Amino acid sequence: MAQELPLADVKILDFMWVMAGPAATRILADYGATIVRIESPTRVDTARTLQPFHDNTPGPDASGLFDNCNAGKLGISLDLGNPRSREVVHDLVRWADIVTESFSPKAMRAWGFDYESLRKVKADIIMLSTCLMGQSGPLARIAGFGNMAAAISGFHNLTGWPDRKPAGPFGAYTDYVAPRFTAMSLLAALDHRRRTGQGQYIDQSQAESSLHFLTPAILDYTANGRIESRVGNTDSRFAPHGVYPARGDDRWVAVVCTTDAQWRALASAMKRDNLRDDPRYATAAERLVRRDELDTMVAEFTRTLEAGEAETMLQAAGVAAHQVQNSSEIFADPQMHHRGHFVQVDHATLGPTYVEGPRAKLSRTPAQVRSAAPSVGQHNQLVLEQILGYDENRITDLAAAGVFG
Amino acid sequence: MSMLSPYRVLDLSDERGLLCGQLLADLGADVIKVEPPGGAPARAIGPFLNDTPGPERSLYWWSYNRNKRGITLDLERPAGRELLKRLAARADFFIESSTPGRMAALGLGYAELAKTNPALVYVSITAFGQDGPKAHYADTDLILMAAGGPLVLTGDDDRPPVRVSVPQAFLHACGDAAVAALAAHHERVRSGSGQHIDVAAQASVAMATQSYVLAAPLKSPEARRVSGGVKFAGLEIPLVWPAKDGYIAFTFLFGTALGVFTRKFMEYICAQGFCDEATRDKNWIAYGEMLFSGKEPLSEFDRIKKLVAAFTSSLTKLELLQLAVERGFLMTPITTIEEVIRSSQLQSRDYCQSVEHPECGRAILYPGPFAKFSATPIQYRRRAPLVGEHNREVLAEIGVTNAELERLAREGVV
Repeated sequence: MAQELPLADVKILDFMWVMAGPAATRILADYGATIVRIESPTRVDTARTLQPFHDNTPGPDASGLFDNCNAGKLGISLDLGNPRSREVVHDLVRWADIVTESFSPKAMRAWGFDYESLRKVKADIIMLSTCLMGQSGPLARIAGFGNMAAAISGFHNLTGWPDRKPAGPFGAYTDYVAPRFTAMSLLAALDHRRRTGQGQYIDQSQAESSLHFLTPAILDYTANGRIESRVGNTDSRFAPHGVYPARGDDRWVAVVCTTDAQWRALASAMKRDNLRDDPRYATAAERLVRRDELDTMVAEFTRTLEAGEAETMLQAAGVAAHQVQNSSEIFADPQMHHRGHFVQVDHATLGPTYVEGPRAKLSRTPAQVRSAAPSVGQHNQLVLEQILGYDENRITDLAAAGVFG
Repeated sequence: MSMLSPYRVLDLSDERGLLCGQLLADLGADVIKVEPPGGAPARAIGPFLNDTPGPERSLYWWSYNRNKRGITLDLERPAGRELLKRLAARADFFIESSTPGRMAALGLGYAELAKTNPALVYVSITAFGQDGPKAHYADTDLILMAAGGPLVLTGDDDRPPVRVSVPQAFLHACGDAAVAALAAHHERVRSGSGQHIDVAAQASVAMATQSYVLAAPLKSPEARRVSGGVKFAGLEIPLVWPAKDGYIAFTFLFGTALGVFTRKFMEYICAQGFCDEATRDKNWIAYGEMLFSGKEPLSEFDRIKKLVAAFTSSLTKLELLQLAVERGFLMTPITTIEEVIRSSQLQSRDYCQSVEHPECGRAILYPGPFAKFSATPIQYRRRAPLVGEHNREVLAEIGVTNAELERLAREGVV
């Protein structure tokens, strides 16, 4: 018999939207939490408008990004500006262990759904607000995407070539970093509540969480006064360390020697046996000095090979190497396949579609993607009837009042 | 009281897994970092205090071992493994990041430790996972960024793809590992049983592609890299724009959600004299589709990009930030680490925390708590441990006497 999922008893009322917030509750959904996600019937979730689209065709449910961030959740449409939505929200708060939201600060207060108000509805509620810069400070009002939080947190300046303008990490970078911090904060607060009965409010600045991914560079500044900047693909410890051309158009292979033995193996693979034991390349310190020369040498070698061929050959020799993979290659990657990274789910309007699988493999109670992302309001009836126990009259009455849009 | 204070964590991870234990330590757990005698190899990773290498001067080590206690144990010797098993018998979490199979070969794999402590949550953080065709691949940060998807999307299109200069791949994996550990713990409270958690950095970094890793299975075109932006179906969309004194990140996009922001922005720059009214009044909601369908020529989009750049270049980063705050434009400055740490935003939130390093005769400023908890604020209780700093204290907790400890030290076990 299947084991109960780890968070089978956890209930979350989720006001979060776009990327960083929903990605966090998606993790918890895979571990079994029941998540009721509120969506505005009028203001479209930005994520629903973003690429890549199912069958490359935009549509209200077709965003792969939205579907990836919201699989496994129940969706209910609520017009929070409608005064009668309040009774539904309050009942959901009474049901929930956790309330999450990712609007810019003030929105929840304007609706009367801030922590001080909600704890009067349920004293031990755990509430988390996540936004780019946090609930306070001169930039609290800044709304937007993770590329903005990444830029203002130093990630962009630290990504790219020293002789060029900053390239920045791809897309809304802090929206990929922050969700882990969101999810672990909620689980830790939940454990605290279980032991003490005490709920609390969590104020997460996505920028502040994400800065933990730059700590060594931050300490280099606060301890040494050095302002690190982007260094292309070079590394302070290893050479060769780079992304080298392979046969074909825009094809690349990453190659790194982390040990002297890897260098000797690479020299052999490149048929440069004369360099294998040459003292000018014997140690990392020597190789770092001759970094540019090595880069030219490795590029000459990889240029003649298919990227995947270079990867296989070098890994067989014990050298760290991997083709630079796009989506097609990752989808075909035997390792990703082995781990079941791409999971097919049956979507209410799209039919079968793909999302990414759970973040970790748990041996006894494996996580599961239990359903596709909801369409707007897909689970209104289910949530109102089965979770809140509303009867048909009450549901009709609320619908007539326009609560569900 | 802190959130995870009742729990003990044994952290055997190398430089790949250090953040996971620190996250649990920040949340209040008692995390014991176990290093080989003489200190962990991660202590040889820079930068170093005043650029002078040394096991007690690695800023990398300091970055990811805060709030942990530290002991040394030689796991190559039976006596060292015996002590570790005694510690594991009373631990709640166990974290390791060695090559798949190595812990089992030492008799310290999950199956072995679970025999004496079935409630143990045992976390393995590796590059590609515990098994599978690439499980034994040699790895580094760059290799994983290549294998998992972010690399191909990042950088200038006339040069090789480029990584973030500060290694990121295993940090993503450590975050996923900490969440999984707490989920397994939540289940353990009900069932009384632990389990093994297998986290692969390749899969964790795939999550850092804004779901473009799904393009192929969804039958959508691949995205291509372009400096500070993205190229999609022939359309080059910049996300980095010039300012008078540097660069900004600026989301200048279209569609039902984002077109509204773009319209507001175009109205503003028109009022400032940077574009004509016909340009201002384009259909910014449908503009993306117009470009994809060819209804709007790409040359026209190029003209618009030039006049937007003319506007952003006319103001400083801070002036543009002020506009973003006041008018809700989707832009922020691209800042240096110095500008980040000195920013009034972080200062007004008391973000950075000073941590004493008495051995160096000074305190060092650290990035502060990753979230603000109203009832159980994260506290920075201690700097990263010195080599073997808590040997006596920790081993005494499992009944090792001073005399035994001296013998173990003589034999080189601790």
